[in-house]
Amino acid sequence: MSNMIFPPILHNNGDQHSGIGYVVGGGLKENLRVRLTVPAQEVQEGSFVIIDSADWRFYGLVTDLQLGATDPRFADEQSETRLPGGLSALLHGQTLYTNLEVMPALMLEIGPEPGSPRYEAWRKAQMGDPQPIPIKTIPAHHAPVRRAEAGDVAEIFGDPKEKGNFIIGHTREQGHPVCLDLERFVQRSAGIFGATGTGKSFLTRILLAGLIHHDHAAVLIFDMHNEYGPDDTASDTNQKVPGLRSKFPGKVRMVGLGRDSTVRGMVPDFQLEIAEKDITPADIEMLTRELNLRETTPTTLSALVHEFGQINWFREFREMRPGATIETEEGKKIPAPDSVEAWAMRAGVNAIAATGLHQKLTRLFNLPYVVDRPAADTTGEIINSLEAGRHVVLSFGQHERDLDYLLVTNLLTRQIRERWEHSTNEFRSGKSSKEPRQLIIAVEEAHKLLNREMAAQTTFSTIAREMRKYYVTLLIIDQRPSQIYDEVMSQLGTRICGWLGDDLDIQAVLSGLAGKDTLRGMLARLQPKEEVLLLGWGVPMPIPVRSRRYNDQFWRDLKGEAFESARKESDIMKELGF
Amino acid sequence: MAELEIGRLLRASTTACVVGCRVSQANAPAFGGLVRIPLDDGYGIYGLIYDIRIEDDGLVRQLVTAERIDEDVIQDNRVNRNVPVEVSVLHVGYRQAGQIHHLLPPRPPLSLDAIYICGPKEACAFTEAGRFGYFRHVLRAADLPVGELLAAHIQLLHRYHAERDNCGWSSSAVQELITLMRDDYPTLMTVLGALSDISA
Repeated sequence: MSNMIFPPILHNNGDQHSGIGYVVGGGLKENLRVRLTVPAQEVQEGSFVIIDSADWRFYGLVTDLQLGATDPRFADEQSETRLPGGLSALLHGQTLYTNLEVMPALMLEIGPEPGSPRYEAWRKAQMGDPQPIPIKTIPAHHAPVRRAEAGDVAEIFGDPKEKGNFIIGHTREQGHPVCLDLERFVQRSAGIFGATGTGKSFLTRILLAGLIHHDHAAVLIFDMHNEYGPDDTASDTNQKVPGLRSKFPGKVRMVGLGRDSTVRGMVPDFQLEIAEKDITPADIEMLTRELNLRETTPTTLSALVHEFGQINWFREFREMRPGATIETEEGKKIPAPDSVEAWAMRAGVNAIAATGLHQKLTRLFNLPYVVDRPAADTTGEIINSLEAGRHVVLSFGQHERDLDYLLVTNLLTRQIRERWEHSTNEFRSGKSSKEPRQLIIAVEEAHKLLNREMAAQTTFSTIAREMRKYYVTLLIIDQRPSQIYDEVMSQLGTRICGWLGDDLDIQAVLSGLAGKDTLRGMLARLQPKEEVLLLGWGVPMPIPVRSRRYNDQFWRDLKGEAFESARKESDIMKELGF
Repeated sequence: MAELEIGRLLRASTTACVVGCRVSQANAPAFGGLVRIPLDDGYGIYGLIYDIRIEDDGLVRQLVTAERIDEDVIQDNRVNRNVPVEVSVLHVGYRQAGQIHHLLPPRPPLSLDAIYICGPKEACAFTEAGRFGYFRHVLRAADLPVGELLAAHIQLLHRYHAERDNCGWSSSAVQELITLMRDDYPTLMTVLGALSDISA
């Protein structure tokens, strides 16, 4: 027994499952205020908290912590220097406090206490198990607030043991697994954003591995920097990073661009060559900025198609000789019949515009992978592979210029779109019984294809806006979301966002979301690495998570899941008597 | 329970009373101590000593001017004085039908009712009952030295409770005081200042 009347109070950090406070005010618009009953350092911004009030359970996110005092003088004066430790601790406990701001996101009817007389009546009145719904009311004053436990996180984000729930990361404080429902995730376009060096590529690898492993959709990855298909070395740690091709040899096909292409020393499964006949005037117009084309280009292209047809115009134009002349019998030099100028005169097109276009298209004419007759129908093979349930990584190898990326992605995606639209229409009209396979097209450096200028011209914006109905969605990976066209951003279902420094980028990521003002600060204060904020339609509520690490453990867990599901399947078969 | 009578009632109201003591009795009551005034049918009033006053009389006035006073004279004046030592008591609760209430008594005691000091057991029983409701009466009395009174009371009661292995009583008491006074910064700091002098 201490002889001191007010012995110093030793802070008990307490049990992880204990309450952290109680509701003291707030509302739906201004968030809830919660008086903290544990030291402020035990709760962080972004904590997932649970509030039970009467028959309802509320799920919320801590968005702010504020110091307060019942009288400002208690805060101004350092009473611990004036009063004995125990006494000042008692004083501080009563007069100085921390308030949490909690953004309520979801609510779930839990009903009366099980075993109580009201419970049975309530249970009978329920049609199945109640599901969490968006917040529509608020908890009462003094409703207790506690940290979410693993079961609470699973209740909202899905049970990690259930098939289709993929662990994308863990809650920051307690480390409870947070899952993405992959089936839901693939139904709408999604985006992964973050400044350079925030682990975007690793997170994308993790997510793609999950999608491939769970096989909810076929995945086509436009791998501009050859990161996803082949094995790689991490730029910061110099450690070996396994690629998707080597981890899923039976499921993933790696495609190189151009004949004899290799990707980081690996020989791809097949090489993509683009047939000249597949290039349309629209593909050229889309390159207006990249090739610095003039406003006369559409007229010239139209004349070319008119004269040579949709299939031959590119080859014919390539073979023309700009500036070629012949000498007449009178010794006068005139454009040669196979010259650009001669064709321009025949077609009634401005000769200078035509020669200018020819000169600018020389970059295309010289592309080694654009050929008159490809060795095989590789484009068709890619599409067939995707339809057959395989996944394709298109590695650009040496062809890492924007021109290559813009041309190939757009051309290939256009053909995919046509095929999937056709298949869907066949299926919906009953002509085919085969439902099209859900397809995700992963696009790196998405702002190059989906910026304000390009969005109207490329197939990608159409996919983001409309192709959900045709089983095709996008996975956009970018570091400058503000450069992506607003209309496309607003269509993104799930947004996974790492640290962003630019206000405009933050604003773009949060566009169209409820509570964006509240989430803005949270996004700006994420750790520069390995922390992401999950947002949007694909997740039940926003939540910051510590993302999974792309390492051996990840692969062990993923493969372990495979083993687990196989075992369960065999058990089920046994139970059924097979 | 050994009952220690300290005197008899001089005057009373619903909120307080004044007790007259002989000097020989005046060593027992202490500032901040609890007293009990048992009345009929198990009804008794509890009070808190907030003032002990020794009034002068004519003889004392003469003696203090004398050049030298014999010790016998001093003792005679103290023991046989005509004016009693006055102990002021704030009513803080009552007991009725065995139940302790931290409310003002329904009726005050009558003159010459005997007053007793509460022993540790009784003091602990009174202060543990309810949730420190009797602090209201102390805090409401604006003309009392509230800080000193509470410090003396808590110091005394801490000793009683500690003897009964209830060391947390004083912390709970102070917590309640802070809750009651946190909107009155000057008074609370005065009380805490006094408490800090006893807590070392």
